[in-house]
Amino acid sequence: MNTGRHRVLLATFLCICSAVLYAAEPEPLGHLIEPGYTPEDAADEQGLWLEIKEYERSLNQSALLVRQAELRNYIEGIVCRVAADYCNDFRVYLVRNPGFNASITATGMMQIWTGLIVRASSTDEIAAVVGHEIAHYTRLHSLQGFRRLKSQMASASVLDLGLTILTGVPVPLGQASALLNYLAFNRQQETEADLLGVQLVAAAAYDPHASYRVWNQLQQEEDAAAVKREKAGVFSQTHPNSEARAEYLLQYVSQEFGPADVEQVADQALLNILNNHYLFLMEDQLDTNRFGRTREILVRHTKLGVKPGLVNYFFGETYRQRGQPGDRELAIAAYTKSTESDGSPPQTFKNLGYLHLKAGDVPLAQKYFREYLEAQPDASDRAMIEFYLGDQES
Amino acid sequence: MKFVKLIFVALGIILSGCTTTYSLVSPGAVAVDSLTVQIGSGWNRAPSTQTRSARSDAETWTKDGLLLDRLVIIPGVPDGESLLFLRSESAALPVFRADMLPNEIEELVESSMLKFFGEGNSVVSSEGLRPYRFGDHVGFMFEVDAIVSDSPRYRGLVGAFIANNELYILYYLAAVPYYFDKHLVEAQRAIQSAVLNQ
Repeated sequence: MNTGRHRVLLATFLCICSAVLYAAEPEPLGHLIEPGYTPEDAADEQGLWLEIKEYERSLNQSALLVRQAELRNYIEGIVCRVAADYCNDFRVYLVRNPGFNASITATGMMQIWTGLIVRASSTDEIAAVVGHEIAHYTRLHSLQGFRRLKSQMASASVLDLGLTILTGVPVPLGQASALLNYLAFNRQQETEADLLGVQLVAAAAYDPHASYRVWNQLQQEEDAAAVKREKAGVFSQTHPNSEARAEYLLQYVSQEFGPADVEQVADQALLNILNNHYLFLMEDQLDTNRFGRTREILVRHTKLGVKPGLVNYFFGETYRQRGQPGDRELAIAAYTKSTESDGSPPQTFKNLGYLHLKAGDVPLAQKYFREYLEAQPDASDRAMIEFYLGDQES
Repeated sequence: MKFVKLIFVALGIILSGCTTTYSLVSPGAVAVDSLTVQIGSGWNRAPSTQTRSARSDAETWTKDGLLLDRLVIIPGVPDGESLLFLRSESAALPVFRADMLPNEIEELVESSMLKFFGEGNSVVSSEGLRPYRFGDHVGFMFEVDAIVSDSPRYRGLVGAFIANNELYILYYLAAVPYYFDKHLVEAQRAIQSAVLNQ
């Protein structure tokens, strides 16, 4: 009887909670600026734009920018489709960085890291991240954040000065509180950009369900990592965490757009991009020495349908470089699989050669070294390989 | 008074391992721990306060300043240790293993330099792996190229060999185009002259 009563009470409590949560949901979000926006007369906004333009000039010169037309066109195409009428407001910079990130400034300078392409399972997921950034721009989040921090820090300084006079000890209590307040505001803006971003993505006929899949995959990658990312401290939590974002986005998208399609169609556009630029994209990831994460990405690429010769080559690289007990065998198996498939790079033969050399099987190592030099006669490490072939004395 | 003395003693102990000024490395044979290199002209030895990520037994020399050029000599990295020290626990620094082949040392250097310049802020690549004999030890050499955000582009020359299960490595890294070419001949001579002391 008591249990039944508790259940009724619990159900009533949950109903009230969800009603409160529902009531607390934000109003439908819209853009705060028109396409082609330029700063108003306010001096602070103009100053902010000038500073960013200066930075953009230097970014334009960066050797880390990806210049390949196919990659740039792919990303710029996504941005323009999601941005719709705002397309001309953005300058897109694809930056060679294996991390997962994108950013936008108040002026419309958008940076997208190559790590985002490497981690995406579909073009829709890239569109979801782009939509989020565009929402930051059209909601003037940078400017609002800048103004809020400035005004709060000014009041905080007065408070801290008063406290210092009263206590005789410098206590930056006001500044700490202002910073915490600003971070909470920042997280609120992130949620706002998430929700408006979903609307933009859906309006551009991309799959809005991709918005939470991005965060789920990021969480899976973190779970697979041997070396975890350092958790943001109280004074640096600018974003909601991946799990929380995935949860509220799933709830919002399901409510607004219905359930996700059961069948997922292969994304040929993303596949072409990955297949054509895989070597440099994954070599950058491999160089991070983060093998758990790299392996997780490779598993995703296998499912996605990236050329098996390429994916298996990087499985081989991951195991060979990780070098744990049993990894040599795993690496040999992966390289061998790569050589039997489409897209295998010539380096596969070389690394098979090195692994067999290490295992003491010199004839087999030399067989692979010869195959490597045949496949890549102008190899820059030809002298080293010839040394192992016994053609050259040191 | 006694307390003040204690503070000075403690400071003395703490600072005894730190050098704060550059010192001259004179031409001729120079011993760096168990390695000896020959240099034709003087270099400036950087103080440990300027090379915080360096191993304690390593030396960093420069001609025109650390941002423009550096010659790094790392004598004897034991199995399981990294080429540099970084404070961050999440840095995922690669480590040396005594059974590594030249291609693996090349990857170790690439990845270590990437961590040194900042993961995500740099792209490091290498080429030209070739054998080279350092005294009695067969080693190898190769070139590196580092594109670094908000910084000049760097090129480098690396020489290394393994002896007694330890890695001996020397590299020259300098801004391109001007500074790399300016000291290349001198740096190359120093790297190629490296021998393990008997």
